[in-house]
Amino acid sequence: MLVERSCVFLLLLWLVGTLARDPVGYRRKVSLEYNPGLNISSVNLLHIRAVGNNDTIHYVWSTIGAPTALLVYTRSQNSTLHVNWTKLFSPAPSGAVHVEPTDSVLYSTAVIFSKVFEYNGANTSDLFKVPADQFYPTYNLANFTWESLGDKMNKTTLTATFRGAASGPEGTFGNGSISFQNSGEKLMQYGAGTSEKAPCGKDSSQNMVTAYEENSRDARLPRLLHTANCSKVNFVMSGVAPRGNHSRFALEIVTVEEREGRKQLESIRSIDDEYTPTIFEMAQLVSVPRNHSTTSSFLQWKTTAYSSQHAERADTIHCQYYPLQTTNCTVPRSSIAHAYFGEDLESHHAIAAINISFGSEDGEAYEEKRYLSWSALIGFGEPPKDTFSTLVIAILAVGLGTPVVLLVGGSIAAFVSRKKRYSEYEPIN
Amino acid sequence: MAALEEEERALLGEEEPPPERDAPPSRKPLSALCDPQRLAHRLVVLALMCFLGFGSYFCYDNPAALQTQVQGDMKVNTAQFMALYAWYSWPNVVLCFFGGFLIDRVFGIRWGTIIFSTFVCVGQLIFALGAVFNAFWLMEAGRFVFGIGGESLAVAQNTYAVSWFKGKELNLVFGLQLSMARIGSTVNMNIMGWVYSRIQDLLGSTGHTTLGIVLLIGGVTCIFSLLCALFLAYLDRRAEKILCKEQGKTGEVIKLTDVKDFSLSLWLIFIICVCYYVAIFPFIGLGKVFFIEKFKFSSQEASAINSIVYVISAPLSPVFGFLVDKFGRNISWVICSVVITLASHVMLAFTFWNPWIAMCLLGIAYSLLACALWPMVAFVVPEHQLGTAYGFMQSIQNLGLAVIAIAAGMILDSRGYLFLEIFFSACVCLSLIAVVMLYFVNLIRGGDLNWSAKRREKFQKLAEAEAERREKIRRQNEDDLAKLQPKSDFSLRNRYLSRLGAQLPDNYACPLPALAHRSVLK
Repeated sequence: MLVERSCVFLLLLWLVGTLARDPVGYRRKVSLEYNPGLNISSVNLLHIRAVGNNDTIHYVWSTIGAPTALLVYTRSQNSTLHVNWTKLFSPAPSGAVHVEPTDSVLYSTAVIFSKVFEYNGANTSDLFKVPADQFYPTYNLANFTWESLGDKMNKTTLTATFRGAASGPEGTFGNGSISFQNSGEKLMQYGAGTSEKAPCGKDSSQNMVTAYEENSRDARLPRLLHTANCSKVNFVMSGVAPRGNHSRFALEIVTVEEREGRKQLESIRSIDDEYTPTIFEMAQLVSVPRNHSTTSSFLQWKTTAYSSQHAERADTIHCQYYPLQTTNCTVPRSSIAHAYFGEDLESHHAIAAINISFGSEDGEAYEEKRYLSWSALIGFGEPPKDTFSTLVIAILAVGLGTPVVLLVGGSIAAFVSRKKRYSEYEPIN
Repeated sequence: MAALEEEERALLGEEEPPPERDAPPSRKPLSALCDPQRLAHRLVVLALMCFLGFGSYFCYDNPAALQTQVQGDMKVNTAQFMALYAWYSWPNVVLCFFGGFLIDRVFGIRWGTIIFSTFVCVGQLIFALGAVFNAFWLMEAGRFVFGIGGESLAVAQNTYAVSWFKGKELNLVFGLQLSMARIGSTVNMNIMGWVYSRIQDLLGSTGHTTLGIVLLIGGVTCIFSLLCALFLAYLDRRAEKILCKEQGKTGEVIKLTDVKDFSLSLWLIFIICVCYYVAIFPFIGLGKVFFIEKFKFSSQEASAINSIVYVISAPLSPVFGFLVDKFGRNISWVICSVVITLASHVMLAFTFWNPWIAMCLLGIAYSLLACALWPMVAFVVPEHQLGTAYGFMQSIQNLGLAVIAIAAGMILDSRGYLFLEIFFSACVCLSLIAVVMLYFVNLIRGGDLNWSAKRREKFQKLAEAEAERREKIRRQNEDDLAKLQPKSDFSLRNRYLSRLGAQLPDNYACPLPALAHRSVLK
């Protein structure tokens, strides 16, 4: 029986071994470039170049206007980004940002973080059920002043932090702006990181995003799985003074999809929450590929945010998304999306907007800790899919296998012992 | 119940002539309710036994029922709040074992029960006073004292049950006791929040004083249970006098090293018990968020489904107790229940099926296991070690619960519910392994654990016949010997007295061999 069991263990281990093997990962060489061709640092434009075997992904992150991430996929290793700064700052920035050679560009998309809503969530946290008078004046991210990226960029860990505060002189915040300007702590930041094969021996710092190995996942919650084809954005609100007792916040994201393409919102409910405890849903905004084209992109996030810098399960803030809006969407006027896609991009390209709200009815989402962090992946190709970890499969196999083995072994033992008894002693009658 | 008790007292009061010392019970006709041999009287005793545990089960879950209130009023975080349960569990790891031991050796069943009930009352009082004085440490101390009494009281309750019902009804009685405990928990869950809001209306404010008063009101159930303990002790003593029956234990000396003599079967039963219960209680403790997050339940729905296991087990326990009594085959029932539990955990972990199915199955399996598993101990342990064995069983169950509750919290925080469910499934698997092993051990050694009730009865009759035959032979021999040997005064007197039909002292009666013990325990 012992022999039998060890055999099964070997079998199981082999099974586990085959399942654990990763497909050969894709390697990209990533470099960061800050304000290419410009010496001043009062504006932020970060160019991330991820070169693969025969293609390049360009990410352009900028806080000129509304914070925007531009993703351009080219089939050439030598494609370059060109920024015409004078044109970019002019009232008609169309074409100020472009990638050359033009014919190598296969796909491009943009994600714009346009607004942050604040509303009274005492009765319901559902953004669409909240009456209009329960909304506080909206924060328009395009009007924020963004700190210089210069010293908040790490070229080895491939992270950058854009930090902005709603200290705009416009006074568009109504009554709230006064308290805000007095406190001076109101900060909003969003960071961008990107992935590549990390050089050996790179330690991961406690920074927002660190250089990941491809096909690995973050160490901190929500522990998103990422590939070499994506970068992560972390939306953090910290120290913002809520304007009411039951304030909830919501983020509006606008996406631009090239020409005939369109975006589609998908919800993936999984039984597997081992990487993001208690969160069973992954939401993703994928582009539906055009005819005979395989190029697509995604924005993927788990339906959770965290209320602490060192996120733990207890800090989970429920995060709710709302149906995708594809009509009557506008891209904030000043954004590098206009510089890349052209002035009248609403009429030529597919625009979609989505709202994501943070916090549920019960429990204060933000007031207590005044910190909120939400992560999403922006990438090219198919969105990564979570799979069971080997540990789960191993425990399962051993746990369910042993009783069966024991049952079989025990039956045999009982059968043999009984047979022996009968063979040695003849029945008396 | 109180009315019934009063009626009971009245009945006893009016008809209280102390029975003659050595009169056999049959000679003194008593009314059905007062005759310890009659069913009616035993039913009264059964009711008392059930309510004996009501208070402690009611108050045990007070913190869970008032979680938000406790955390709000005492300003403690969840970890500190959970400490209230830990403080209950930890002393029991040691005391459960000694509880059984104390009942057997020091206090006796009656005083033991009374003392433990007192501990429960005092513990709840301290717990409530801790809230009144806004001292959380005092509340923890209260839970500690409460814990000292709580589990030992359950041991005493079981021992009482065995002593009064060690016939066919034992499984049924265990089932009834369990459902009473569950009713206690469920009533507490549903009523304490309401009581709190009423007191809040009365005082006009929330706060630690409100909480303290609510907990004091909860403590009334403990006092009620203490009264039950006192009355039960009286009835037991009375029955002892009338029936000349022994107190619910044995006079034989047992040693602390008894544990070493426990059979393999008993150890396997322990393993089944620990591995099974750690997959139930900590899961229920952490279940609410699971149903909210995975199955998108509302908060109330989640509470409802989370308590369904208790709700189901309350009515089903006596039914299953009856079934197990009727059909025997305890091991088969246990296997059945463990497999169902495993299936429902796997269902919860790997599917999005309506969780009501899985939770109802879990409730059914849970009540079935309790009815089939706990009485098995009585089959594999000589009667005089029963208290010790049950105490030991509950003790390691507590140890398992305390450790696994902490582990489960950590697993949940680091790896989520899927892993937690798999962990619980693994525990149930371990339990399944143990029960399968028990089945084979029993089969190979020819034990009677899995016999049908019919076969047990047949065997019992056979054993009785055998005992009678032996007795006859022994008498015959004695007579033959007596004829051969010169008679002493002593033996002459004995023979004379026995011919007359007079009651001989116990030590002159033929001590039945071990078989008798066995037949008594089915």
